[in-house]
Amino acid sequence: MTGRDGKKVAIVGIGSSRLSRDAGRSVGALALDAVRAAILDSGVPRERIDGVSGIYSTDQPTVWPGYVVESLGLQNIVWSNCSSPPSANTVAEGILAVAAGACDYAVCYHSKFRWDTVSGAARKDPLRRAPRGAFDPAMTLPLVESSGVPNGMFAAMTRHAHEFGTTREDLGRIVLNNRNWALQNENAVFRDAPLTMDAYLAAPPIASQLSALDMDMPVDGAMAVVITTEERAADLPHRPAIVEASSNGVTGGTDFFFRAFDSYASYRVLLDRLWKQSGYSAADMDVVNIYDGFSSLALEWIEAVFDVRGEAAGFLKDSWDADSGKLSFLGRIPMSTHGGNLGEGRVQGFGHVLEAVRQLRGTAGTRQLDKAELALVVNGNNPVNAGMILRAG
Amino acid sequence: MNWPTRMDHDTAPYWAGLRERRLVLCRCEACATWIHPPRACCPNCWSDAIGHDSPSGEAELYSYLIQPTTPGGAPEIVGWAELVEQKELFIVAPVQGMPLDNVRIGAKLTLGFEEAGDTHLPFFSAGEGK
Repeated sequence: MTGRDGKKVAIVGIGSSRLSRDAGRSVGALALDAVRAAILDSGVPRERIDGVSGIYSTDQPTVWPGYVVESLGLQNIVWSNCSSPPSANTVAEGILAVAAGACDYAVCYHSKFRWDTVSGAARKDPLRRAPRGAFDPAMTLPLVESSGVPNGMFAAMTRHAHEFGTTREDLGRIVLNNRNWALQNENAVFRDAPLTMDAYLAAPPIASQLSALDMDMPVDGAMAVVITTEERAADLPHRPAIVEASSNGVTGGTDFFFRAFDSYASYRVLLDRLWKQSGYSAADMDVVNIYDGFSSLALEWIEAVFDVRGEAAGFLKDSWDADSGKLSFLGRIPMSTHGGNLGEGRVQGFGHVLEAVRQLRGTAGTRQLDKAELALVVNGNNPVNAGMILRAG
Repeated sequence: MNWPTRMDHDTAPYWAGLRERRLVLCRCEACATWIHPPRACCPNCWSDAIGHDSPSGEAELYSYLIQPTTPGGAPEIVGWAELVEQKELFIVAPVQGMPLDNVRIGAKLTLGFEEAGDTHLPFFSAGEGK
């Protein structure tokens, strides 16, 4: 992403709270954990932070920027923003703000919490009662709620299976890849929970094709990044992750309840933009961190990234390494080395950004790849998504 | 019965139709595009002239879920019925007359209504209309 002065923008700080089923801390405290950690990691003095962006709208209750600004005594904020999930969306906003010169150092965060609206186990906990209000951005929920609020994402997977013959085993390869990588991530909620294909296939379906293992686990957890220009990054301690491209992609039916069938088309809009803007192609990537709020979303993202629409089953089979229980696309490109949302927990894709930065810095520990110069991050589905290509600076 | 939970200028004709056992959908008066969910402007030609019309009720099953449609109720088929009038014009509603273990995408469906308090709700039956 090139700013007005022709200079690129970089991610220079990353931070995370602990991820857990019960942090014993509020959703606000988690946000402050992540934002402080990201600012400290960046080496940017607190008084130089002048932009703040958080995920706030259209989701379970989260934390708005004013809370972070006040709570952390940020006194020089000249740009602030709220954006919808997924997490990469707030990062994309920070990238744009720095590129446009709206601020010099943006901190972008998202804080997730295991509210009683997303976790049955939370319903007995008085500290987890979400403020009530329907999540209905397309304003069509009343038209279908007599049918028990059907989730169109399940129907989209059913349709995919009908058109292309996709099976549970195909989805299982995505889930196992992420769960196996999560075993190497000390912050993952599933860090000590190995999963076999037999156990995956035996899990009872919640709706056609998908079981609880195909959905990310609700957690308490927050993450953040600090963004500045490549030029300023040169004075900071870490190797920067340069933003080579950043985009959203929205098209077709954009209603989760009525029409979740158009996600693939939106992914192609987003990816075509990323490839054109950066000059790179999928084959140039060293790691692809692919959104997996549902395994079925990852399946269609994989089809879009590698241009194999309708052929995910064969593509995943060809990419499967039975010994490691992991995927390796085009013979060398791993997916979501932190474990994705399915392994790490439901941070709505922020871990995908942080892991890309760790790999490009060379600080991914036992997960570190031999070659990590270029990373693709894609988050979300239609109509809320974001993607970026990051390069080791 | 607390139904509907909410309506607005765009959706009110849909609810008024259901009271009379009719499926009333938005349709552009300029280019004849069917529009559902209801919207105030045509996505095809941007006309503000949004009229209303009732489709034939013939449809094909495009996709589905199996879940209870009432609290504590038995699982049912919730179908995405693609109306024959237009590609990807969906009504999401329960589907009856098809076994849960043999749901056939592409099956012919026919629209029906069932009473729900002082209004009616749409459903689809497997098979061609009478």
